[in-house]
Amino acid sequence: MSEHFMGVDLGSTTAKAVIIGADAGMVAWRTVQMGAVSREGMRQAVDGALESAELRRADIGRVIGTGYGRRLVPGVDRTFTEITCHARGVAAACPGVRLVIDIGGQDSKAIAVDRDGFVEDFAMNDRCASGTGRFFEVLARALECEVDELAGLARSGSEDLEVSSMCATFAETEIVSLLAQGAEPPDIAASVHRAVAARTLGLVAQVGKRRPIVMTGGVAKNAAAVHALAEALESELIVPPHPQITGAYGAALLALETYEGAPPRRAADLERAEESAAAAFAPQSSPSCADCEVSDSTARSVVLGLPIPVRRP
Amino acid sequence: MTQPSAGALSTLIEIAENPTGYVTRWKTATGGKAIGAFPMNFPAEIAHAAGVLSVVVQESREPITSGRNLLTEFYCGYTRNLADQAARGRLDVYDGFFLADHCIQLLGAVDVVREEGNRPVYFGQLMASMGDPWTRTAVDGKMLSFREELAEFTGRTIGDADLARSIRLFNENRRLLRSVFDARRAGDATFTSAELQALVKSSMVMDKEEHTALVRRALAEARAARRDGRIRLHLSGHFCHAPRPELLRAIEDCGAIVVDDDLFHGTRYISTDVREDVEPLAALSQWYLDRNVSVPCPTRVQHDVDWDAYLLDSVRASGADGVIVLMAKFCEPHMLYYPELRKALNAAGVPNLLIETEHEGLPLESVRTRVEALLERIRHSQLANA
Repeated sequence: MSEHFMGVDLGSTTAKAVIIGADAGMVAWRTVQMGAVSREGMRQAVDGALESAELRRADIGRVIGTGYGRRLVPGVDRTFTEITCHARGVAAACPGVRLVIDIGGQDSKAIAVDRDGFVEDFAMNDRCASGTGRFFEVLARALECEVDELAGLARSGSEDLEVSSMCATFAETEIVSLLAQGAEPPDIAASVHRAVAARTLGLVAQVGKRRPIVMTGGVAKNAAAVHALAEALESELIVPPHPQITGAYGAALLALETYEGAPPRRAADLERAEESAAAAFAPQSSPSCADCEVSDSTARSVVLGLPIPVRRP
Repeated sequence: MTQPSAGALSTLIEIAENPTGYVTRWKTATGGKAIGAFPMNFPAEIAHAAGVLSVVVQESREPITSGRNLLTEFYCGYTRNLADQAARGRLDVYDGFFLADHCIQLLGAVDVVREEGNRPVYFGQLMASMGDPWTRTAVDGKMLSFREELAEFTGRTIGDADLARSIRLFNENRRLLRSVFDARRAGDATFTSAELQALVKSSMVMDKEEHTALVRRALAEARAARRDGRIRLHLSGHFCHAPRPELLRAIEDCGAIVVDDDLFHGTRYISTDVREDVEPLAALSQWYLDRNVSVPCPTRVQHDVDWDAYLLDSVRASGADGVIVLMAKFCEPHMLYYPELRKALNAAGVPNLLIETEHEGLPLESVRTRVEALLERIRHSQLANA
């Protein structure tokens, strides 16, 4: 049996590649931010992860593609949606998770997870970029700062200004209008973060609020966004240390678990695998995974998907 | 009228994609009049009996431009597009227009059609409350008014014998199409969902006799195929206009097969025959009342009829593994009813997904992601329960 498996998540703005070992432990990972659904970004992410793991493509037993560009991943053995992969990755990293909120560059999702770590229900934004990473890019441009600086700016804001949570374009108009009225950038930043949180609440309502909640995606790296969302949800949020790669990690897990040569996995193996995953993604914010409601760890055999022909040349 | 050399199905698809082309050719060939009828319940049999081609006016694929200021952005895509078609002269091929329904957005659009053109427009809304003591009388009166209006429009008396003949032709067409849809429910996969839509959509456009003949040819030319192991889905919603064929194709490309639907451009349109054993106008009244029982519609009020119960029964009958609800953005009756529908589906354990559609474009990759996620969810639970 092969010793390594790869998940590649080609998202709208960022490509992520994760390599795991046969014990589900993470061996290497790489994220590359480039143009929209960038093949070059994906190539760099895959090559970077392989280089970091000191492996060649031939050493990888199975590759699963996910994300918007999942069908563009060369040599992919099969694809799963990012919804399934995020649920799988987060469930492994934090057993007992019941709700995943994933906010990426162009879309946001609320994923209800069942007790076995699989998708029970989901909701995602349509074509509107409201409440996504794009929304924050618009804000940063209007406030003439870097996206990375937004969290600090927002946390120093004190006034609650009314900002539409409808649309990134409308919001930009409102921000310009607020600036023209003399509103302070920190107050605007804080208010926009609250508007994004309000928008996300709408998605959560579609699948039903449940705990524990894990937040993933690039926006989960923005502390002010996490804080605003936790306040709006009236619940603590768990954020893994690498929130952008949980989808790729879930894809890698599915590569391992659907590998034809994989032996039947005993409960002890599965427990070890979960421990390994939990260690790789030790959460940044309280409560820790130890506080999560732990599901029956023996019910972990993966039964997703019908077999599809291997397309590798 | 049709191209003998072309495959019959291709011809039907072409007519479904370009109704105006067909209507123009029909008018040239026959010298007859054509009317634009608006969804969903205009009794086209009366128009046929008067020698008129009655065409359900379809949404066009053109971007909304000149007509943008005629209706607000919060009207559904179909009605905004109708207003735009009227403003740009795209409906000039029709000699008159008939409305039989009461949707407030559609009324707005038809009002634009009236304002923008110089063709007669008849507003004849059939009542939406289906169970009141006076409903039948009111519907009878409306059917009579349609006959009178069409007689005046054509300058021709519409006799019962003419009407009975038209009813027979329309029933024959509906029965033929229903046989195709019934076969699909029973496991036939000869036609894709997009092709089935073309069969129904072309029926809304073409002369019925010609359409029936062409569908018979298409059936004879088709290579029979049985359903495979793909996930079986029921499509629900879209009461007035056709969901884009590429959306239907995307759903099936994701690994699903559509086995049933309650779409207007599908089961809903062909659901109910007109009785041939009673006086024709009375039969048309009864047809209108029966349609809401055959396939309930949230635009009607009827306390003993329930769309969610119908949907769950249909899902059980066809063996669908899940339901995709196609909702036209800003379709108020659908928006209001949807929470009940979703609650019923969830309570019955039927996986379901809502896809909102708009006139302006289709985010296909986003749709694929959601459909595939639904299918992954269904496969997982099927395999886990196996």
